[in-house]
Amino acid sequence: MAESSTSYIRLVQHLIEACLCFNLSKEKCIEALDKHANIMPVITSTVWKELEKENKEFFHAYNKAQEDKILEMETLQKIQKKLSEASISDSK
Amino acid sequence: MLSASPLRNSSTTFEDIKGEASAVGFSDFCIDDNFLDYIDFSEPFEGFNGEVLPDLEVDPSDILAEFCTETCDDSHNKGETAVKVCKETEAKITASKIEEIATKDDDSTVTVAETKSSSTSGEGESKRKSSSASAKSLQGKRKVKVDWTPELHRRFVQAVEQLGIDKAVPSKILELMGIDCLTRHNVASHLQKYRSHRKHLLAREAEAASWSQRRHMYQTAIPTASTPKKDPWIAPTIGFPPPPPTTPAQMQPFQPLHVWGHPTAADPSMVHAWPRHLAPRPPALPWAGHAAVPVGDPSYWHHHYHVAAKQGWTPQMMPPGTPYFHQPLAPVRFPVAPVPGMLSHPMYRPVPPQPPKQSTPQIQLEFHPSKESIDAAIGDVLAKPWSPLPLGLKPPSTDSVLVELHRQGISKVPPSIS
Repeated sequence: MAESSTSYIRLVQHLIEACLCFNLSKEKCIEALDKHANIMPVITSTVWKELEKENKEFFHAYNKAQEDKILEMETLQKIQKKLSEASISDSK
Repeated sequence: MLSASPLRNSSTTFEDIKGEASAVGFSDFCIDDNFLDYIDFSEPFEGFNGEVLPDLEVDPSDILAEFCTETCDDSHNKGETAVKVCKETEAKITASKIEEIATKDDDSTVTVAETKSSSTSGEGESKRKSSSASAKSLQGKRKVKVDWTPELHRRFVQAVEQLGIDKAVPSKILELMGIDCLTRHNVASHLQKYRSHRKHLLAREAEAASWSQRRHMYQTAIPTASTPKKDPWIAPTIGFPPPPPTTPAQMQPFQPLHVWGHPTAADPSMVHAWPRHLAPRPPALPWAGHAAVPVGDPSYWHHHYHVAAKQGWTPQMMPPGTPYFHQPLAPVRFPVAPVPGMLSHPMYRPVPPQPPKQSTPQIQLEFHPSKESIDAAIGDVLAKPWSPLPLGLKPPSTDSVLVELHRQGISKVPPSIS
């Protein structure tokens, strides 16, 4: 009985780690596990939080990198926008 | 080694200094090859960074008398005024230095004593040069600034590591370095800088280590993924998000024609960027395109031709063969997406690329791993739950998880899914 809980939690951890390998955000991870593995979001969320507690440095670095990624993406999008605008005006 | 070479008088002297220094036991005299850069013979007391500190305890005046001769006048006859000037300034600054330093550390007096004895004993040309140089420095700057050359720094680091970063005390470092031209104060401030620098480095290293660990993990977990060339955080590019066919295929060739085929018009960054993430793809594509083209609508060719003409490309400019493969490749494949040729490549899903938006799909790939790949990974985990964890994070205690879940309203784990 307890073993099944433990193994289930381990499974969820395993899945979360797979998502981490994809650099997914917490929300994306919850969504993915829900969609593809039928893990209840609340469970994923809880396990994620617990993992975060146990592996503070990892998640600290991970979250930082996530933020950087977001910023980078925004910057790139801006650049793309400018480029496309420029090309449109050029083609005119 | 007092070989006199008239042409290279300064550098000869410099070598002499070194030679003398090593002879007397300074294995690595602090004067290095750049030393003479600091000595501006036209303006004697300016610019020298004071690597050579004054002889602290000795009354340098008598030594100086001879030292100043050479460099101040650049002749062997001493101009008395020059000598006196040197003497006075040296004496002044030396005195202050002595006060400053004598109170600080016993060790430095040891090195000082060494310096003293050696300098008094060897009153050769070289010694004069070095001391006069120091005289010049002292003249110019009250605060003798130590220039931490790479060599000096290396010795410093050596000494610190020998002592142990925590046990590294400036006086001991000084001792280990055995360079008399450093004050304890110099070493102390440098040590401070070094320590803070180290902390910064270690922090970054830790982050990098976790990143590389993760990268390693994800490389093993996703063996089909292409190696991220620049950043471990780039998600695998094995699957592309289904390209939103925002515009009809006819519109797309506009840019790919521009970029792919034309040798000069190709945006080099784009072209290079592609291979980075889709390494084998460009070579693979022409073949796939080749297969696709006969399958595709011949009208595409026609259209591309027209578009190309519009852009000013004539048939002569574009050899009828190869470039066409490149250019219409994507759009041709677009309507005929499941072309066997494309699927053959194990790394890429059968999703046509988006050359028109070269930057976009790339960036999308980086930031949005495809649903398929995630699904695949999750499927793998579900299939083999006993397999080792890819990241090996420290697992939370089951109890704390269960407690938390109970708080959230989940009583049974695994929950029965209705």
